[in-house]
Amino acid sequence: MISGLVQILLFQGLGELASKFVLPLVPGPVIGLIGLLAYLLVTGSVGASLDLVASTFSQHLGLLFVPAAVGVVMFLPQLQAHGLAVLVALVVSVLATMGVSGLILKALAGGETNED
Amino acid sequence: MKTSFPPIAEIWVYLSGSPLLALILTLTAYQIGMLTYEKFNRNPLANPVAIAVLIIALAITAIDMPYRTYFEGAQFVHFLLGTATVSLAVPIFKGFRALAGRMLPLFLALIGGGVTSIVSAVGLARLLGADDAIIGGFYAKSVTAPIAMGVAERIGSSPTLTAVFAVSTGILGAVLGRFVFDFIGLRAWWQRGFAIGVAAHGIGTSRAFSVHPEAGTYASLAMGLHGILGAILIPACVSWLR
Repeated sequence: MISGLVQILLFQGLGELASKFVLPLVPGPVIGLIGLLAYLLVTGSVGASLDLVASTFSQHLGLLFVPAAVGVVMFLPQLQAHGLAVLVALVVSVLATMGVSGLILKALAGGETNED
Repeated sequence: MKTSFPPIAEIWVYLSGSPLLALILTLTAYQIGMLTYEKFNRNPLANPVAIAVLIIALAITAIDMPYRTYFEGAQFVHFLLGTATVSLAVPIFKGFRALAGRMLPLFLALIGGGVTSIVSAVGLARLLGADDAIIGGFYAKSVTAPIAMGVAERIGSSPTLTAVFAVSTGILGAVLGRFVFDFIGLRAWWQRGFAIGVAAHGIGTSRAFSVHPEAGTYASLAMGLHGILGAILIPACVSWLR
């Protein structure tokens, strides 16, 4: 568990440094993610410890953005004032996004059906 | 010797001055959210994050705790977001095998979906008269929330609104996906999975896994690729447009 966490923190640190000095527009953790991904592609396998830490994080990813999301209480008046705009934008946009990527896949990869 | 018990008010002052209260509140609310989610057979409408946010928002309003005070305590949970983002490399690496032979259609579907997500949401919100703060929250809403919040900071929009819109988008996508795919006649599991992952990130991915493992694998791949590409391209495009 600890060696996996050390690996992740190292790449996070490198990512933060790169974001601060080289690529200010890309968030540090994402540069860290790309670094770790490149490392995994080179070594070709995921260590047991790293795998354990990563699966623990991905199981409870939702918990980690709760504190920031609670800040929605400060936006309630604005959200109420523009409630219709927000609702329409969210619903139509998600329908359109799924529709467009679905249609692109269908057009380029053919109307495959499933074996099962 | 008699020890006198400190009055409730004193305990309260002590607790609300330390991060402990905010941490207990956050973890308990999330635990209730998870239990509810399981109880409803992982129905996307019973989303654990949405439930936790609702409980905490009601609780801090009831005890009159300013959001800033709550966040000071809860920031220890918040801090782990960056670490969790880096660890997403592992599921993306595992999903890479699924890319083989399907690289081109998957990338074009990702780009097409990503652009549609931004243009449709920002365009509609602007058309319907939403203010700039709200519109800013729409840019990264189809990107997985931990990355979307980092992107929001880079483009100067609110990470909070971005997270809230991302979670709402995830729930809507998970609920509405099957109707869209049936309507356009998209049948292959890998295609349905990938399309829901592009639009509805983690919440869509959980839904896809509960329907079919192949759909889940491709949804997870789409979420990871959208995260990486979105983090690189969205700040670049937004700064170019300004």
